Amino acid sequence: MRRDHMKSVLPRGPITLLGNLSETRYWVYLLLFPSLILLLLVVAYPTLYGFVISVREMRLTRPGLNGWVGMKHYVAMMSDRVFWISLKNTAIWVTAAIAIEVTLGFVAAVALNRNLPGTKLFGVLILLPYFLPNVVAGHMWALLLDPRLGVINDLLVRIGILSTYKAWFADPATALAATILVEAWHGFPFFALLFLAGLKGIPEDLYKAAAVDGAGPVRQFRLITVPMLKTVIAAAVILRVISLVNSPDLLLVLTGGGPGNATQVLSLYAFQTAYREFNFGYAGALSVVMFILLMLFATIYIRLTHVTKE
Amino acid sequence: MATLSINRIRKSYGALDVLHGIDVDLEDGGFLVLLGPSGCGKSTLLNIIAGLDEPSAGDIAIAGRSVTALPPKDRNIAMVFQSYALYPTMSVERNIGFGLEMRGVPEQQRKAEIRKAAEMLQIGHLLDRLPANLSGGQRQRVAMGRAIVRNPDLFLFDEPLSNLDAKLRVEMRTEIKRLHERLGTSIVYVTHDQIEAMTLATKVAVMKGGYVQQLADPRTIYERPANMFVAGFIGSPAMNFIRGKLLSDSAGARFTSEGVIVSLGGPGGANGTRECVLGVRPEELKVVEMEDASLEGVIDVVEPTGPDTMVTAIVGNQAVIARAEPRFQGRRGDQIRFRVDPSSINLFDAKTEARIDVGDASLIRPIHENGFS
Repeated sequence: MRRDHMKSVLPRGPITLLGNLSETRYWVYLLLFPSLILLLLVVAYPTLYGFVISVREMRLTRPGLNGWVGMKHYVAMMSDRVFWISLKNTAIWVTAAIAIEVTLGFVAAVALNRNLPGTKLFGVLILLPYFLPNVVAGHMWALLLDPRLGVINDLLVRIGILSTYKAWFADPATALAATILVEAWHGFPFFALLFLAGLKGIPEDLYKAAAVDGAGPVRQFRLITVPMLKTVIAAAVILRVISLVNSPDLLLVLTGGGPGNATQVLSLYAFQTAYREFNFGYAGALSVVMFILLMLFATIYIRLTHVTKE
Repeated sequence: MATLSINRIRKSYGALDVLHGIDVDLEDGGFLVLLGPSGCGKSTLLNIIAGLDEPSAGDIAIAGRSVTALPPKDRNIAMVFQSYALYPTMSVERNIGFGLEMRGVPEQQRKAEIRKAAEMLQIGHLLDRLPANLSGGQRQRVAMGRAIVRNPDLFLFDEPLSNLDAKLRVEMRTEIKRLHERLGTSIVYVTHDQIEAMTLATKVAVMKGGYVQQLADPRTIYERPANMFVAGFIGSPAMNFIRGKLLSDSAGARFTSEGVIVSLGGPGGANGTRECVLGVRPEELKVVEMEDASLEGVIDVVEPTGPDTMVTAIVGNQAVIARAEPRFQGRRGDQIRFRVDPSSINLFDAKTEARIDVGDASLIRPIHENGFS
């Protein structure tokens, strides 16, 4: 009796309607709809617009110059000295930072995976740099490395490595290396976190079997750990390369691309072209080149690591 | 082929003692099963034999050579894991040959050995596949292939059949037995499955709480269990336990309980009683009519299984289960009588739960010592 009563009332409620809808094949589209709209508005449209302005003239300083210019910006780029310097610096910056971050991340993850007393606390401490916004981390390191007040200069002089305080970011010989170290410090917890998750997914029995089979720690690492983490490593490197290539914020805070163009990278160059020189057309062209380079990198990298095979 | 001797092995994690001085010897070519419920220390003991875990005290010797200080790879053992522990990124062929590869066996010879082991296990056609593309039974075979190909002194099996379905488990059990008979290599095998222990072992160590409760061949374990734990752990359905008294007087010794009298014969004379537990296997309870019945009760449940019919009866206030013939006709509420052959029973002390040997003088002696008579 009671069941019949409930049956006759329930279908009219909005929750019940939603429930019925969730049983149909339209449900999946309904769930995708909000994020699709968001993606179209804030990703697809600006990206397309970026492609469009890269073949147009658009300078806020000279509003009169307007209209279709075709490949003009791309041709100009080929003879732009700063572009080539930025490209080279971007390659050095990304490669060096990733190499340091992967190494530090791996060491940290292997250590944290040991489950010794204290590793939980260490796990949180190690993640702290990653939680700091880039701009905050930048200002912090600017202060630490400050040529007059910097505690690092003070320490190095006291130990006897340096004779006088050094302006790390002002010397073209050390500026890029110093910013790479800061970026690596900021970024390695990302790798530590992902590698740790990957390591936890490797069954303990595999190492036991390998120990019985006669593989020592080095071969266990090379033949079990690394192949098992291949997918994680590939994904982490791609994500990190994209974020490194696209984010000028740390360099903006630390050096602004200087001294000269010693720390100029593509993202910062595009940013400055757009918001210092207000030359949006050329900045758009620079961004398109970055976009294509990233796509090429990701494609080749995925091919090389064979991760899609498994 | 080699002997194994486990001498006074202890293991503790901090204040927690997991193994309390284990002594087990295995003959050359023997099959030792470490049997017990989870947490009894059997897997820890196996890991200690393998060198994957260090004992707190004691010594392990394989082929007469102490290996306690050696890493796993130098013990000349091969191990099969419950999870199979196949390397997911390597082909079946490389998985099987991994131990040989690590030992620097040349590729030509390696391939031949792999081929031989794979043929023996009927997985020759799977060599190019990755473990992820194999069924559970095939993975099991690959794991065994990896062990066989090494031609070790000793095989270690850690619950190798637990992850298989019931039908496959029986097949692989037979396969393991066949393999052992063919290769003749000594095996240590950990399981909680008493049927695996009974069917495979030449020697069973029943473990509980970090102690070996009994170490003997399967038949002895089954027929003459050392205590009530071993008696109850081995056999399905489990051995019947009937609480009662052991009486001894001039007429001889006998066990009595409500609805139960089992005459044990033996030496009369010494008078006394003792609280004890009668253990009798379901197949030793023979359904009889009136004559010389030892147990008398009422049928509670009748369960035909095909080859047998299991009959649960209430005797006094205790339930007993008997393996009756398949065409048994009794029904719930019927009177039923069983005869017990005195030579087939086991007696346990009610307090210590340890075995009392029937016909042995010790049967009577404690009664004297305790001042009865």
